[in-house]
Amino acid sequence: MKSIEEIKSAIEAAVSGARVGIVPNGSPSGQHSLLLDPQHAVAVAKFLRDDKELQLDFLSNATGVDWLDKEITEKVKVTRPVTKTVDGVDQTMEETVEETRKHVQPGYLEAVYHLYSMARKHGPVILRMRTGNRTDQVELPSLTPVWRSAEFQEREIFDLFGIVFTGHPDLRRILMWDNFKDHPMRRDYVEPDDFEYEPTAHDEVLARAAAHRAARQGSAVAAAEANAGAER
Amino acid sequence: MTLSPYFSLTVLFVAALAFGLTPLGLAWLWGRAFSPAKPNATKNAIYECGLESRGDAWMQFRPAYYLYAIIFLIFDVEAVFLLPFAVVFTGLGYAACLSMLVFVLLLVEGLAWAWAKGVLTWE
Amino acid sequence: MAVDEKLKIELGKQGVFVTTLQELYNWGRRSSIWPMQFGLACCAIEMIATTMARYDMARFGAEVFRPSPRQADLMIVSGTVTKKMAPQVVRLYNQMAEPKYVIAMGACAISGGPFKQGYNVLKGIDRYIPVDVHIPGCPPRPEALLHAFITLQKKIDEQHLTGEERPPHLDGGAQGEFPVPEYGEHDLEPPSNPGVWPVPITIR
Repeated sequence: MKSIEEIKSAIEAAVSGARVGIVPNGSPSGQHSLLLDPQHAVAVAKFLRDDKELQLDFLSNATGVDWLDKEITEKVKVTRPVTKTVDGVDQTMEETVEETRKHVQPGYLEAVYHLYSMARKHGPVILRMRTGNRTDQVELPSLTPVWRSAEFQEREIFDLFGIVFTGHPDLRRILMWDNFKDHPMRRDYVEPDDFEYEPTAHDEVLARAAAHRAARQGSAVAAAEANAGAER
Repeated sequence: MTLSPYFSLTVLFVAALAFGLTPLGLAWLWGRAFSPAKPNATKNAIYECGLESRGDAWMQFRPAYYLYAIIFLIFDVEAVFLLPFAVVFTGLGYAACLSMLVFVLLLVEGLAWAWAKGVLTWE
Repeated sequence: MAVDEKLKIELGKQGVFVTTLQELYNWGRRSSIWPMQFGLACCAIEMIATTMARYDMARFGAEVFRPSPRQADLMIVSGTVTKKMAPQVVRLYNQMAEPKYVIAMGACAISGGPFKQGYNVLKGIDRYIPVDVHIPGCPPRPEALLHAFITLQKKIDEQHLTGEERPPHLDGGAQGEFPVPEYGEHDLEPPSNPGVWPVPITIR
């Protein structure tokens, strides 16, 4: 199979205007992935499926990833002019200083597709697409028109992560019920508070159960105080 | 006085009726005495594997369902006859082979007819 | 009503069999408990094994798995009850004719099991319907299901026909319908039925 760089250049040659990035994977498997831009993703997918050399005709897996906002602390070497007095003469010198900078990398949702070729017996080629943010720009193009096996998996991603796939033929929730509002696999998902009975709680569950008990006792105390106030 | 030949039949008939109806009557009496009925809307609802039923059950089914069932019979009957045929195949004469061939060809003709009519493609 | 046990044994030795209406009735019911034919997850495989020749639930009069709740006496909740499935299970329980019994089979059915902290698993079916026998295990072996079954038979044997102790199906005032939970925006509503499942008090 072609290397990831070769595939990248093949895509850029075939689909005009397509911006393709490479997300490296440092693990021994070395399965680097291609980062597609959503505008050209469907055209790129069609190319990958129909190209004679690649023939990636089998989508084995589609999954979602939730990336939270990340605060990145990095040390940057900055060169700036410093005025110093050397031998009684003021001199302006360039000095290199290390500075600690912080910036917030906005979070996004990501859809990951694993492609194989049944005809050529090679793979995987991994595609990634990223949404604009985690709240309102959560639309990505659906690859179901290209690979039919993406249909249920994209529905699952929609259900659990909340990525809206435009062009999907039947985008409904698949695991949760229809009027469910949350997306349970997002990292900021808040579970319903049903920790009233935890006979063998430990770790995180113990903390949640303790918080539940405290909230209930607190409300009971508050209700009792309110009652006492009304009687007075 | 001679008894009518139907008398014994009548006795048997009454006994047969009683045999069936007595347990039902006893069960009804038991229910009246001990076990009160508790009907409710969920219990009396149409059974639909636990889901709430929607619409009417009296609807038209596509004839294609029945055609599929009939075509399935072709393969089913064929398999039933072909297996014993294959078991004794080496010991058979020309006549047996020929009649089996006719039988299979008749079934294949049915399949070919269905194929030509476009029954095998599901729309 | 009650017959002196020693007298009964003595009469039995002489070839006289004495019983009461209550014993006869309970014997009849416990010997023909027909389970409902449905399975929810992997525990159902063990339930199927229990009915097969090696473990042979037919010995206890329970081999007839009914495909309709109208003809079933026992609901074996065999496996994980997801929140999406829970209303269906409760509705099926409501549709069963009385008397009806429930065996919660396996860790998931009794408490949520390994999926307890998941987003779509009910923390035990006993939050919505009254459970007669709980079986722990993941999955429980067929012997465990048979043990639960025998426990249920013993429970039925001890039921009274009249009086305060009588079982719900003989009691006109007892609850006959259990509310089916609705799909809410974040969870099932209500998350549990307090009439069936008062929050157990944990003593630490």
